[in-house]
Amino acid sequence: MSTADEASAVVVTGYAAVHAPALEMLPEAARSRAARSERITQLAFSAVGPALAMAGLATTDGEPRARVGIVVGTAFGCLLTNAAFERRLVQGGAAAASPRLFAATVSNAAAGEVSIVYRMGGPAITLTAGSAAGLVAIGHAIDLLHADQADVLVAGGVDAADTALEEWLAGGGMRSAVPPGEGAAMLVLERATHARARAWPVQTLIHTCRAGFDPDDEAAALAAPSGFAAAGPMAVLAAMARLVPRAQETVTLACPSGHRASVVVERVA
Amino acid sequence: MTGCGVQSPVGLGVSEFWEALVAGKSALRPIAHAWADDLVPNVAAQVPWDDGDDDRAGALALRAADEAIRDAGLAPGRVAAERLGVALGTTLGGMSIFEAWQVAGHAVPGLDHVPYYAPAVRLARRHRVRGPVATPQLACASGTHAVAMAASWIRAGHADVVLAGGTDLLCRFVIAGFNGLRATSDVARPFDARRKGLVLGEGAAVLVVESEAHARARGARVLARVTGVGAAADAVHMTAPDREGAGAARAIRAALAEAGRTPACVDFVSAHGTGTPYNDAMEATALVRVFGPGGVPVNSIKGAVGHTLGAAGALEAVLCVRVIQSGVAPPTAGLDEVDPACAELDLVHGAARCVSAQTVLSTSSGFAGANAAIVLEAP
Repeated sequence: MSTADEASAVVVTGYAAVHAPALEMLPEAARSRAARSERITQLAFSAVGPALAMAGLATTDGEPRARVGIVVGTAFGCLLTNAAFERRLVQGGAAAASPRLFAATVSNAAAGEVSIVYRMGGPAITLTAGSAAGLVAIGHAIDLLHADQADVLVAGGVDAADTALEEWLAGGGMRSAVPPGEGAAMLVLERATHARARAWPVQTLIHTCRAGFDPDDEAAALAAPSGFAAAGPMAVLAAMARLVPRAQETVTLACPSGHRASVVVERVA
Repeated sequence: MTGCGVQSPVGLGVSEFWEALVAGKSALRPIAHAWADDLVPNVAAQVPWDDGDDDRAGALALRAADEAIRDAGLAPGRVAAERLGVALGTTLGGMSIFEAWQVAGHAVPGLDHVPYYAPAVRLARRHRVRGPVATPQLACASGTHAVAMAASWIRAGHADVVLAGGTDLLCRFVIAGFNGLRATSDVARPFDARRKGLVLGEGAAVLVVESEAHARARGARVLARVTGVGAAADAVHMTAPDREGAGAARAIRAALAEAGRTPACVDFVSAHGTGTPYNDAMEATALVRVFGPGGVPVNSIKGAVGHTLGAAGALEAVLCVRVIQSGVAPPTAGLDEVDPACAELDLVHGAARCVSAQTVLSTSSGFAGANAAIVLEAP
């Protein structure tokens, strides 16, 4: 890497992935908050906590850190919470609307909860782009780091699944090559210069991340999801584990909704 | 920014929207639908257009985008498909279809429009987009971050042109939810001493955000430049805003820093201004933290169009473009008696005011402590 490349490179200093909530490994502040949260938020905590710990950034005390933030990608977002909230409305009328559930009927609830516990006062962004959302989130985080909008961003994907999701997919006649799954995979990203300044070891950098769209992908229904938003970041973690020093690999993901994304991962040490 | 399109409760199209805002009109009315009969309050701001499309949020976005593309003079094929993107925020997407499915207990038409990313997909398919497509989900700050995301993609070289904005619809789900939080009222009075809560609205706004080089190469008329964006979490509470306004202030300062502007450079602020007691007090604190007492003219349009959630920031971005173009700041509909807690703001109310608007700021805040801000400047 040239000096100029190195200065602009974005590196991975922590990562974690789960296929089910794993709250027991979290610090008490995170565990107690996650235990009261919706399933998608529990999954997010289960990956964000260990990833931040690996990067040496798992603070749960003090004022919000203005230069630390999170970018979350999700295919389904808060759909399960929406279903639970709506069932109460249907059964009990408007008076049965649950304020607690309603507060979680936003897809950025997971990012908000995690920001509160881990004292992250920088950007807290959630986006959807089908099951490509996890990789698109990583790409958006890289752009924000390059634009100096933050020093550290946790980025990745998370989705929760249950029978409500399966019923919705079946009800909509939406075919999916890959069944909907659940899980979370998060990477701690920072500029190489920032990691070096805090003397943190770096093994992997992410060269480029591209998002695209295929308007002709009519083989599937309009918005049929495939897999889940953590799939892309999990593939990045798998590539990181396979790569030998100075080798690189391109991770790509195509969702039947038309969303596309790719990331180039390089092992530097 | 080279084009704007709006579907709002006070007007279909940018001209109607703008003229109504300048005149201080309001579209807040009781909802004339059976589904709202047991909602208390049941006042909202509805877009005066309905073609029966099950996917109302998607349909509103398509109409707003059509106007924006016409406004930008973007004939089909003028942008390489791989260099065209969509960043379209929403908080509800196809929620009315989701409601119908839950009530029916069996499949209903349009379930494939339920996911939050469906309106963006629909817009991308209509315009044969092959560049980046995403749906920002920052709750009520989604529309503002959509513009920021578009600018980010363009600066990073991922696209030359992005259709950016937000869309949301009125439905039982969201009104019952906000009523349950006791956050609603039957009249929206942003920054007023008598304010009791927000009134929901619906609508869509789309802006054509384009690289300066691309706009110049095709001889496009530039309406405004996006010079700074910022986002920040409160990291305090999931539904209540940080009473110190620290998160909102961080987002504003980040946007100003990227624009290379000091607070003194800002000529006008389009505030989030929902009309809830806590939001408006928080926002007043945040704006005074950044700009000082009386530092800049401020307004809110939510007394006119209601709180349009994921569309709000996009509608307010269009407002900011028109403020830059016209040098006029519309009044804050519903504001008669300024709350002493907001008295240090220079609130535009009663009548429109002439402002020398070279640099303007738009701010949004939402559930989960999300804050976003953008700086727009005259071309």
